Amino acid sequence: MSKRTLYSDLPADLSAALDKQGLSTEGVVIWANADMDIDCTFRMHVFVLTRTHLIHGFAPEHTTRRTMTGFGKPDAIHYDIFVWDTYELSSLTEPTIDNLVVGGMFHITIDGIDTPLAAYTNSYGRRMHKLKDLFARMLEGKELTEEQLTERDREQVCPKCGSPYPNKDRKICPKCIDRRSIFLRLFSYFKPYWGMLVVISLLSILNSLCNSIWPYLNGTILYDMVLSEDMGVVGEYMPSVTSFFTWLLILALTMAGLKLLQQLFGIVQGRIVANIVPNVVSRVKSQVFESIQSLSVSFFSKRQTGSLMTRIVDDAGSISELFIDGLPFLLPNVLTVVFSCYVMYSTNWLLALVATLVLPPAFIFVGKLEPLLWHYWSKQHQTNRNLRARVNDNLVGARVVKAFGQQEQEMARFSKANVRVQDAQMDTVRFDTKFHAIFWVAKNASVMLVWAIGSMIVLNLTGSSMTYGTLITFVGYVNLLAGPLDFFSYIFRWWAHSMNSAQRIFEIIDSQPDVVESLNPVHVDSLKGDIRLENVSFSYEPNKKVLKNVNLHVEPGKMLGIVGKSGAGKSTLVNLITRLYDPTEGNIYLDGINVRDMSFADVRRNIAFVSQETYIFRGSIYDNIVYGKPDASPEEVLNAAIAASAHNFICKLPDGYDTIVGSGGRSLSGGERQRISIARAILADPKILILDEATAAVDTETEKNIQSALSKLIVGRTTLSIAHRLSTLRDADDLIVLEDGEITEHGEHGDLVRQKGAYYKLLQIQSKALAMRGIED
Amino acid sequence: MSTEILNTENVDILEQEKQKVDRLLSMNYLTPENASFAPTPGGFVSLTAEGKTYPRVTIYRAFPFTQPGEFLSVREPDDKAREIGIIRDLSQWDEETRQNIERQLSLRYYMPAITRIYSIKEEYGYAYWSVLTDRGPCKFTISSGSSSVVRLSDSHVIVKDIDENRYEIPDLSKLTPKELKRIDLYI
Repeated sequence: MSKRTLYSDLPADLSAALDKQGLSTEGVVIWANADMDIDCTFRMHVFVLTRTHLIHGFAPEHTTRRTMTGFGKPDAIHYDIFVWDTYELSSLTEPTIDNLVVGGMFHITIDGIDTPLAAYTNSYGRRMHKLKDLFARMLEGKELTEEQLTERDREQVCPKCGSPYPNKDRKICPKCIDRRSIFLRLFSYFKPYWGMLVVISLLSILNSLCNSIWPYLNGTILYDMVLSEDMGVVGEYMPSVTSFFTWLLILALTMAGLKLLQQLFGIVQGRIVANIVPNVVSRVKSQVFESIQSLSVSFFSKRQTGSLMTRIVDDAGSISELFIDGLPFLLPNVLTVVFSCYVMYSTNWLLALVATLVLPPAFIFVGKLEPLLWHYWSKQHQTNRNLRARVNDNLVGARVVKAFGQQEQEMARFSKANVRVQDAQMDTVRFDTKFHAIFWVAKNASVMLVWAIGSMIVLNLTGSSMTYGTLITFVGYVNLLAGPLDFFSYIFRWWAHSMNSAQRIFEIIDSQPDVVESLNPVHVDSLKGDIRLENVSFSYEPNKKVLKNVNLHVEPGKMLGIVGKSGAGKSTLVNLITRLYDPTEGNIYLDGINVRDMSFADVRRNIAFVSQETYIFRGSIYDNIVYGKPDASPEEVLNAAIAASAHNFICKLPDGYDTIVGSGGRSLSGGERQRISIARAILADPKILILDEATAAVDTETEKNIQSALSKLIVGRTTLSIAHRLSTLRDADDLIVLEDGEITEHGEHGDLVRQKGAYYKLLQIQSKALAMRGIED
Repeated sequence: MSTEILNTENVDILEQEKQKVDRLLSMNYLTPENASFAPTPGGFVSLTAEGKTYPRVTIYRAFPFTQPGEFLSVREPDDKAREIGIIRDLSQWDEETRQNIERQLSLRYYMPAITRIYSIKEEYGYAYWSVLTDRGPCKFTISSGSSSVVRLSDSHVIVKDIDENRYEIPDLSKLTPKELKRIDLYI
């Protein structure tokens, strides 16, 4: 556990600068930076809030060059030359932040004049908002609790390079991350297959041996021995063979055999790889999926579903590509280079030098051009993705397109994206051709050079001598080197790309859920259903409180109705009780036990949720109903369906309870889906029932049915019911009205009517059946 | 539901609600004839319209990119931000009001414009941009992937960094071919 950090902990240079100015740092509550003047020019500001003063410092000069988050060390702030203003707290009222499109503007009323002090970009928003919140509390004369003064998630910087982490949820610096460790971690997935890996390595060594012998057989042995009818040293191994025709036959058979062996090795190796890699990839995929399941809801709301899909499917694919088509060929290619060089240098070092001298520049040249090729490929990829998205859009919205008669316009939009793909493809092909032309020129240049200088040596023009066969061997090796040259020019980038994918995948596998289960949860078998909220506040984003200081108590077995406009925080409130999120401040107790101390299983077993968004997964209706209680008997399921008035429509379906629903299956109407999810809740038999607009999607007739189903369901349970239609809440023992995250009215139906507040007004409007739903205040 | 609550006074409530809705559903234009803006001592804008004075108002653009000077929504400055009225066309107003309002707008919609692109380096899921903006040189990081760079039109591009700060490239055609090549992958 790291040291607790407080908002009041001043950085040393700021503290020193304040000292130098003779400004007291006693009773500091919080400090925060802002980076803009209100005329949109950049200037560093600092606010230090103490128990008695607000100190405002700003740089004498405008900031001219800026380094934003993620690029490395933040720009230094020279507090020692700042200009300082000090305000007595008694002269200040209404600290306010206006949200701008990006960032915000801090203003405060000084001696009755509303004065803007500074603005800031998003990077400084969190602390500025905290400063404003604490400031407002202090001015209201409220105590600041220790919890409020403690910095929960301090912005951390990479210890190696000092830059803030680009992704606050994952403390990893993309610049300093150890790519090798990612690779090793990936490799650890292959551990169970180490025996196979040894076999693969052996095979690839043999393979490259065969490869490397080939030019020798083809050159030296064929030309210098068999065709020159001089078997030399080789002949002594088989003195019985005298006919050179037989030698030729032996050579031909050996060469054919070699090729055959090579094919065989290749096949075996391929089969082993094909066995291992899909296994590993599918294990990585299921691990990603598993950890996604354990993550909190906030993780999903922060990310697009599309990008998550990409991670699971595409990233795993890109890793497998490296492991199938890349790495297995690494060793053979290295070995080919080593063998070839060895053979060449031991035969004729001069010619070997000539042959290999051309290679390094060629290699560098190819390496330089390769990123460009990569660039074109990515571009093509991206335009294709765009096109796909467009088509997807169109197909999903097909009905709207037809209804508005916009086919022509859609075609135009499509062809625009299509032309982009076409352009990108043409660019790629054009460059690819150029690239390969250059590549082959480089390669052929070295072959030519070997031919030229080799011929001179053969013709004895240089003093040293060489046979014709040796020259052929040489050319063979030079040709052989082209393969590895090509391979090494892209393997690095390929590797980097895959490590990138791997890193993204590990990011999910390593993500920590925001809502964490207690290590030693209090075990509760069955709850009575007592719910208590104490000073609960909650915000999804730092600058917008969705719930403000909510206090609430619901006794076991009672029904609480929650009324409020959309966006008032009703759904958030019930989400906190089911622990989909944890409150930012305050606590929630079930039967007197803090929900944070209970196990997820206990909480969720005792709470059932019927919401406006019905989740029907792919499977039979039966499967969908038993979702919350997998061991239920068919009788129980039928009873639940009857109670939810779903039995009738289910029986009328041709396939009854076995009807496959969900994507690709039979489509159900909103009311039907709703009734299935109610049946699911009835079957789960929870102590606490939460109805979030449970009857919003159905007609009045069906609503009546569902209402009667629900009134059976709520007996003996604590029920929280959110509704726009007040008639839904006629059985409620208690009602609250939520407005902008605060409980503004609380009491029984009669009390609220007498109060003549928001509830009363709503009742009037609805009883007159003025169809005003959906229109905001 | 008890009947006592359905007596005559409720007609007022219904009538009030109806008026409220009517107000909500109609567009209320602010013109130099029916409204006047004035600067406040702190540098904000106050409004007097329909006999009512608002000590401070906030102003939003309805079309920030396509029609920045037209259809400006004038709202109350609190969280609810109720709309007071709409300015149809800012150019119909006097010079002082125009400057005053434009000052408020330029803060709310502040966005540095990228004029030169020195380098873009892509590495492990992030792209590092080093650029010159109309407010000086700036280095920022975007997460690579198409959603960080939004193409508003053929020539107008918005770039969002990892803190969701925005930068704009107002006119792609003003960049050099080399610079265009650097950002080619993102647009």
